Amino acid sequence: MTDRLRELSLTLLLLLVLLALEFGMAFLPLARSLRPLILVPAALMVCLVGAVFMEIRQGPAIVRLFAIAGLLWLAILLGLGSLDPLTRVDLNVGAIATANQTMPSAIRNR
Amino acid sequence: MSTMAVDIPREQPPSYLTDGVTLRSWLLTTDHKRIALLYLGSVTIFFFVGGTAAALIRYNLIVPEGMIASADTYNRLFTMHGIVMVWFFLVPVVPVTLGNFVIPLMIGARDLAFPKLNLLSWYLFIAAGIVLIYALFAGGLDTGWTFYTPFSTNFSNGHLIAAVTAVFISGFSSIATGLNFIVTIHRLRAPGMTWYRMPVFLWSLYATSVLYVLATPVLAMTLLLLGFERIFGLGVFDPALGGDPLLFQHLFWFYSHPAVYIMILPGMGVISEIIPTFSNKPIFGYKFIVWCSIAIAVISFLVWGHHMFVAGTSLYSALVFSILSYMVAVPSAIKVFNWIGTMHKGYIRFDAPMLYALGFIGLFTIGGLTGLFVAALAADVHLSQTYFVVAHFHYVMVGGMVSAFFAGIHYWWPKITGRLYPEMWGRAGALTIFIGFNLTFFPQFIVGYLGMPRRYHSYPPDFQVLNVLSTAGATILAVGYLLPLAYLTWSLLYGKRAPDNPWGATGLEWTTASPPITENFVTTPEVTEPPYNYAQPEAARSG
Amino acid sequence: MSDTMATHEFQYSSAEHQAETAISGMWLFLATEVLFFGALFLSWIYSRHWNQAGFDAGAQQTWLAIGTINTVILLTSSFVYSVGLAFIRAGNSRRLVQCCAVAWLLGVAFLILKFGVEWPDDIGKGLFPGHGFSIEGPLRGGAQLFFVFYFFGTALHGLHMLGGLGVVGWIIRRARRGDFSPAFHTPVSVVGLYWSFVDMVWIVLYPLIYLIGRGP
Repeated sequence: MTDRLRELSLTLLLLLVLLALEFGMAFLPLARSLRPLILVPAALMVCLVGAVFMEIRQGPAIVRLFAIAGLLWLAILLGLGSLDPLTRVDLNVGAIATANQTMPSAIRNR
Repeated sequence: MSTMAVDIPREQPPSYLTDGVTLRSWLLTTDHKRIALLYLGSVTIFFFVGGTAAALIRYNLIVPEGMIASADTYNRLFTMHGIVMVWFFLVPVVPVTLGNFVIPLMIGARDLAFPKLNLLSWYLFIAAGIVLIYALFAGGLDTGWTFYTPFSTNFSNGHLIAAVTAVFISGFSSIATGLNFIVTIHRLRAPGMTWYRMPVFLWSLYATSVLYVLATPVLAMTLLLLGFERIFGLGVFDPALGGDPLLFQHLFWFYSHPAVYIMILPGMGVISEIIPTFSNKPIFGYKFIVWCSIAIAVISFLVWGHHMFVAGTSLYSALVFSILSYMVAVPSAIKVFNWIGTMHKGYIRFDAPMLYALGFIGLFTIGGLTGLFVAALAADVHLSQTYFVVAHFHYVMVGGMVSAFFAGIHYWWPKITGRLYPEMWGRAGALTIFIGFNLTFFPQFIVGYLGMPRRYHSYPPDFQVLNVLSTAGATILAVGYLLPLAYLTWSLLYGKRAPDNPWGATGLEWTTASPPITENFVTTPEVTEPPYNYAQPEAARSG
Repeated sequence: MSDTMATHEFQYSSAEHQAETAISGMWLFLATEVLFFGALFLSWIYSRHWNQAGFDAGAQQTWLAIGTINTVILLTSSFVYSVGLAFIRAGNSRRLVQCCAVAWLLGVAFLILKFGVEWPDDIGKGLFPGHGFSIEGPLRGGAQLFFVFYFFGTALHGLHMLGGLGVVGWIIRRARRGDFSPAFHTPVSVVGLYWSFVDMVWIVLYPLIYLIGRGP
């Protein structure tokens, strides 16, 4: 019991440290395209919550399979899904002029 | 090995059909077998709703200028046909009817892992159906079942919100079913039933369930974004506001491509049960065929961009998706060889389920091969948005999947109802469907190749002959679908009573009564043999 | 406070079999939730990719302090619930109730701060997407899309929190009735998984909303 409490408390502490870390990273002069690296501490926090609070290591083996599958498929969605915009030739047709356009009111039914 | 009629001794415990006769005992049941029947009734109704829309579409296309005066009405017809047939028939059908009924019997369990969740999934399906019927009667919508933006969000004059709400709710029904099946297959197998002793049908439903749980949530979010964009003009999909209409297509097809494998994998599973039974041989290449089901499920998530080749995605990403699309065809092709290998040197019987299964193999192969045509970038530029694509997917979906569903219904009908259907009518129905189907859809490959676009209510006069042939075929196909409705219903009252194992098949479901008792098995079965153990057919046949 | 023999439904071979199955089912459900929110994250990627300057400009309008405090609140709430689970494993049902109540109250605090304080502040500053959107000029499209993501994402997360409060409340009720013991506390574990997962979603949303777009 006390072991578990210690484990949980240390984890909370570590989570708060990681939170402080990503908070600090936000104020670093990172290039716009590198700013998503701020998600790295967040990813570590997710792993900690899963490993310690949710006890993924102690559950039946199948739950680790489910968690990995979820993350793997998320990677497919985000990775393969980003492939198109990252490699598209963007023929941007005047974002300034169109930004203030209001939506056409051709909608009658819901 | 002909079918036998046997008198059921009166002292047996009641079957699941007679165990409780009130409406309440049906509507509040948690028995997977009763839930399967509740679903069967529901999907049949939706099949005929979608089929009516199809009949009207084919009716319209008899003359080049369109029999139905308004293009708008035509647009609403094909939209409704698509939505109903995709989400309210093909996506659920085999898992919720045959899967729900057969899985616990096949793995030797008393029920699914979460029986109440199963009942909830049916109620979600019905709720979704009610919203959809409302959308239909309120006038439908004209966007096509694909709801592409910005037309659907900014310009369409129709009941988008009602339609996507219906689909959204149905998605939760799917997720619940898939979750239930996966956990059941992992956790409730009978003693001795290792993974490699499971019939292929279970592997196929497992693969389908993976698709249900991983793809459907993406659809749910996509429809939420779509609905809110429509109502509030969010801008996520609107280029005028900085959004990207292709984001909608990526999100939509991330679900909808795996969805087509949700539709076909259970059908392949059914065929994998029927071919060994009616060839009296073990399935050829068991490990190949089960791992191909898993491979199809995994690779199906990597190919969605092939629906967007001409939409404006980057050429690089189109290339990647094209290559992956070729890869996904390989496991399907391997399965076809497995089925043929199973039949080779087998003792083949041409009962109705087998006729449907044979039809499936041929029609699915044609449909699958034509998919490769459209997976090629250069060819797709010409074929995209023509009837070639329409014919391709109807070959796999209708020629393949609906045939497989009918095959499964006829195969397990004795187990589900305790009655035998009239065999000659069964064979007549199978042949009628096969002929009607080909006459309907083969001409569509030709007109598509010649350039006739899909989703148009009129067409150039040059295409009329082929369109008339197609409509004639559709009439025959309609007869073919009505026949089973008639004789299967007839068999419920007047059919001969079925023995436990009318086909002499292996599999735990055939060791229990037809129809089974509520708890499925009197004692928990123990499995000691590999599946499809046709070397000792006497052990599998009922006394 | 009974310590009855745990029973199981007719399709399970033992109580442990049933407990592990319930936990497996919840993990699988959480995997579906990953894909659900994942689609929203893809829209974040697209919106930011096509409108980087405007998107980040919108992000800089968020209330960093309240978002950070809320993150601490949720992390603590998840911690406290896990402590409660440890207590019932050791047989202390009273502490379980107390921990769940604290976790529940922290959840309520989160919702009050987010929807009672932060949202009205954002809306008052004209940051709700639509006609009255207050950021003008070339950055408007991207900024508006940022706030689409912000309101959509926090609303969906909030709905999941509400559901979580419901089930945690259910656990409190059952625990007070003495339903749980070291031999049987499966619902506590299963609800704990869900509650921690809702925390996980926020852990990802927090930098996407408050941190990435912000910078010197």
